[in-house]
Amino acid sequence: MYGWIWRHLPGNVWVRAAIALVLALAVVFVLFQYVFPWAEPILPFGDATLRGEGGNS
Amino acid sequence: MVEPGHEPTEPPESTESTEPTEPEPEPVPADPPAPAPVRRPRRSRAASAVSVFGELLITAGLVLGLFVVYSLWWTNVLADREATKQGNEVRDGWADGRGGPGALDVKNGIGFLHVPAMNNGEVLVKKGTDLKSLNNGVAGYYTDPVKSALPKDKQGNFSLAAHRDGHGAKFHNIHKLKTGDAIVFETKDTWYVYKVFKDLPKTSKYNVDVLSPVPKESGKKKPGRYLTLTTCTPIFTSDYRYIVWAELERTEKVDEDRTKPEELR
Repeated sequence: MYGWIWRHLPGNVWVRAAIALVLALAVVFVLFQYVFPWAEPILPFGDATLRGEGGNS
Repeated sequence: MVEPGHEPTEPPESTESTEPTEPEPEPVPADPPAPAPVRRPRRSRAASAVSVFGELLITAGLVLGLFVVYSLWWTNVLADREATKQGNEVRDGWADGRGGPGALDVKNGIGFLHVPAMNNGEVLVKKGTDLKSLNNGVAGYYTDPVKSALPKDKQGNFSLAAHRDGHGAKFHNIHKLKTGDAIVFETKDTWYVYKVFKDLPKTSKYNVDVLSPVPKESGKKKPGRYLTLTTCTPIFTSDYRYIVWAELERTEKVDEDRTKPEELR
């Protein structure tokens, strides 16, 4: 998978490394900005309040 | 699966038998370009499937690790930034004298909670305990399931919730509160000094009785001016709730310099 990506990146080894770094940072950005904020309320880690009987999460 | 006829690029199993021939390609300069194209088809389909599966597992591990970084660090960065901003707005509003003396600015926040034993500065208190509001690094007073009283009320239970971890983690050190510790709530013109009298380190999240005007589990029987802090426990999870009760000891008028009560000095 990562080998396939690496082989399909253009340029020499430094250009490839730079592009790979940018891609990795883009993935981290998307995770932090969109995926984790979406997933967090679904996961049972950060709920601090008390709920009534019918309350969820 | 090993294709015959690719002697120099055979898998490791056969390297022992071809060991004597290994040194040969090295001195020949024309060889290096040749192995590159042959090396790829050498791996069987099963081997690449296993390899992709392994890479996916590594990726999943990295994503989970990143989620921990996000939960315990990044949300704090964002929340502290937002809480500071909102806190400054409230203080600016007080300085401008907006709303007249004594009026509670419910929309922006009603005041600041100071808990010396938690050692985390001041916590802005706003109305409501919905996640969106608490995620900004503030504490909220309950409107549901049990409506909180306000500190100025003659009697009742001023009940607050905030995050234990992430999103500012404003009540992270709640377990450091001991009986007799001071909790000070600051409004525009009054310091409310509470003293902790009871804690409940673990209770169900459905135990809404702890929020009642006279919380029975705290041992109190008569109405009074109580303060209840609630957050999740154990640390890093939210299986249970941690409760701390305090009772109003005295109030102090805020003077011109906003001199802090002795508990905060």
